[in-house]
Amino acid sequence: MAMNPLTAHAGHGDLVFDDAFLRKLEQLELLARKIFRGLLRGEHTTSRRGRGLEFSDFRHYRPGDDFRHIDWNIYSRLDQLFLKLHASEDDVTLHLILDASASMGFGEPSKFDHARRLAAALAYIALHHLDRVGVSTFSEGLGAGLPPIKTRHHMARLLTFLGELPCAGMTRFDSALRAFATRTRNPGLVILISDLLGAGNSQDGIEALRYGGHDVVVIQLLAESEIDPPLDGALCIVDAETGDQLEVTVDEDLRRLYQHRLERHLQDVERFCRQRSVEYLRASTAIPFEDVVLKYLRQGVHLR
Amino acid sequence: MIELAYPLALLSLMAIPLLIAFHLLRPRRRRIVLSTTTLWQAALKDREPRVGLRTLLRNLSLLLLLASALALALALAGPQWLTRASEGADTVLVLDVSASMKTRSGIGKTRFDLALGEAAEIVDGLPRQGRMLVMTSGRKALLRTGFEADRDALRRALAQLRPGDEAGRPREALALALSLLRGREEGRIYFLTDGAFDPDVDPGSPQVVFRVMGGPARNVAITRFDFRQELASEDRFQVLMTVRNYTDAPVVVPASVSLDDRVLFRRSLALAARAEETLVLPFTGRARGQAVGRIDVDDDLAADNQAFAAVNTDDPLRVLIFTRGNFYLESVFQAMPNLDLVKRDWSPAEDIARLALSYDVVVFDGIAAPQLPPGNFLLVNTVAPGLPFSDSGRFVRPSTLVRGPSALMGDADLAAVRIDQARRVIIDKPVPGLQRLFWSKETDLALALLDDGRKLVYLGFDLARSNFPLQAAFPLFLSRSLEWLRPRGDGFVSTHVEAGSTETIVLPAGETRATVRMPSGKSETLASDGGSLLFDATADAGIYEYAVGEVARYFAVSLADARESDVNNRWAPAERREEIRPMGSAAQALVPLWPQLLVLVLILLALEWFVWTGSRGNA
Repeated sequence: MAMNPLTAHAGHGDLVFDDAFLRKLEQLELLARKIFRGLLRGEHTTSRRGRGLEFSDFRHYRPGDDFRHIDWNIYSRLDQLFLKLHASEDDVTLHLILDASASMGFGEPSKFDHARRLAAALAYIALHHLDRVGVSTFSEGLGAGLPPIKTRHHMARLLTFLGELPCAGMTRFDSALRAFATRTRNPGLVILISDLLGAGNSQDGIEALRYGGHDVVVIQLLAESEIDPPLDGALCIVDAETGDQLEVTVDEDLRRLYQHRLERHLQDVERFCRQRSVEYLRASTAIPFEDVVLKYLRQGVHLR
Repeated sequence: MIELAYPLALLSLMAIPLLIAFHLLRPRRRRIVLSTTTLWQAALKDREPRVGLRTLLRNLSLLLLLASALALALALAGPQWLTRASEGADTVLVLDVSASMKTRSGIGKTRFDLALGEAAEIVDGLPRQGRMLVMTSGRKALLRTGFEADRDALRRALAQLRPGDEAGRPREALALALSLLRGREEGRIYFLTDGAFDPDVDPGSPQVVFRVMGGPARNVAITRFDFRQELASEDRFQVLMTVRNYTDAPVVVPASVSLDDRVLFRRSLALAARAEETLVLPFTGRARGQAVGRIDVDDDLAADNQAFAAVNTDDPLRVLIFTRGNFYLESVFQAMPNLDLVKRDWSPAEDIARLALSYDVVVFDGIAAPQLPPGNFLLVNTVAPGLPFSDSGRFVRPSTLVRGPSALMGDADLAAVRIDQARRVIIDKPVPGLQRLFWSKETDLALALLDDGRKLVYLGFDLARSNFPLQAAFPLFLSRSLEWLRPRGDGFVSTHVEAGSTETIVLPAGETRATVRMPSGKSETLASDGGSLLFDATADAGIYEYAVGEVARYFAVSLADARESDVNNRWAPAERREEIRPMGSAAQALVPLWPQLLVLVLILLALEWFVWTGSRGNA
């Protein structure tokens, strides 16, 4: 019996999934709303006619066409040459973009750990369906990345990459995501996993991804202590990314104002995504990781 | 120019560095790392959009603390502002409360009501920094307030004033008012009066502003009322009553006199214009009690339409004599009217104090006297210890006697007095209360002493070895001595005093307090360590009753003042400029600044608290 790379992977215990969970992941399939032209044969129907098994259409024979595709039954009935067309089934590239800024290290468990486990699970789903998976990180700019891999044999490499990712620096969404969109040659399904907190306009970055032809999914991760901060009294709060200090005296009134501001921020992001047909999911680190994958992501259109 | 009363208090400024240190050492804030502070900044902006103000407030708190500490230190140093006194701001308001101010003036109002209205206007018109003193002018000038800047306090003082039944003496009131403004030439005196006084009252000072109230009035008055006993008669008395018409038309006035609600006389008096009539009405019978004379007339001043008199039961003079027997002394005492004499030959020394309180006079005749307590004593041929004179032997036949100027001796003739043997006394130390009555060239023979609660008459020879008891001067000397030792105010003569004057209430021996009930029904208890009491709340006419022990006594208070009743004898002041020129050099005054600084400290601390709580909420 072949050993599962995710269960067998050592050294990154937080990225190890049990077999039951993996079986559940294997039943899931990533779907792209756009039709992408794949590089290799896969399971996603493309606009290209090809060698797939699924019938697509007929068309008149033109000189030079492959005789093997002539439908001889039609010729016998109509005495005309028609070519039988089949849809080509290509692979889809899944681009996992992880926010690796310092703010992602916040929370218990940290948002970054949550993001890495989420990325590993999504990568496993994709690889299971013969899709290619690439991983990119960003903070102030585009950071370390893993070129797209195709087979589950590369899963260990992916896990190693994820496990060794640092979590530091400021966040510059716009410049980092714009750089990603510019450098990526084959558009695909982009899953952006970030807290969307930090400098720079995240909406510009998402817009850049869309212009790059990607089908974008945004997963916004927040720590529970960010949603309902357990702060009180006279504090000097330090920004994890910029190091800026702010003296505040937190009371009920200020907490209410903070939550009001956070709610407004989240609603802005969600509204932006909905208007641009970008799937948006908000998740708290307090929600078990398995529930995020098996329940909430499946409520969207990109996982079934 | 500012002076400091306590410059050393400025050392408290050394506390300011401590204050700064405490400010710097305030508790540090807990440091918390968050994913982002952007949302917190936005939340703070929602609460306080002016971030710059927050920084300012943080430092403002310290600045306010320092300012309040500085102000407090300055306040402790007692700064005083040396300035020219604002004399113009001080006003004395003199209200005439004499009986004539009760004269009707218009419907339902009196001259005093008009004066109160005028006074209220003057109070309302006081300058902002002005102070006013309110005083009244009746028989006495009384200060009702100090120099007061509080308008409400002045109005309250005015509201409590009312005119009495007393004759006014405005000259004294104005003299007092001028003395209060001495050195404050810009000060002003408002005298609110009806002008019923002599023109020479005006002191001629430019500071005095007269405001004369009321108009012409119609008055008929009782100007004299008294009882007296006819000479050489014990049961025949006379009532004296004078009624005067102050109007310019003849009037017929029904008059009556009653004694203890028994009407003695009724008369109808026909008085010509501005004329008076005196009635002397004899009657026989008991004449003790409360007497009231009335005239039934509807005039503008009712206070003088009745007069009062009281005749009290006479008290016996209680005399205790320690003697082995003295025919002359005892004979004279027994011959004196209304005198109770008790004779003893000895008493323990410790009882003397009690006996001195129980008896009006204690006499030691030829018996060694102990140390004398407060009381009234007559020493005959003996000397007590503790006196400013002492016994130094005897001598025979002193030479010619010399009489001193004392009232006790009067015109007593001592020329024929012969003394066989006398005590020689030496005045150890001259004291103000010691007076020589008569003496020979060898020694003092009679002395009188008044010192701490003691009255004493000393006679320095044995009466039995002189012819003094056989002389006319002897009973005269004893009578005057007893009268001096124990004045007997409540004789037969009717007791009545002018309204506003002071009545002396003589307490019988053994009594130390008296309760006086006034015509208004109010009572006042007075206490004394013996002797007499002074009672001066006699502004209202009527019968005053005072209880001494179980005996009720009376004295009468009446206006009975012809000048006060002449409510039309109105003096009009000459035109006087209202503007008062500054005269002479102005006085200087040190105005204390610490109250203002203390208020400033409180304001600064309140501001600091406000800023601190504000910054705490904003940060």
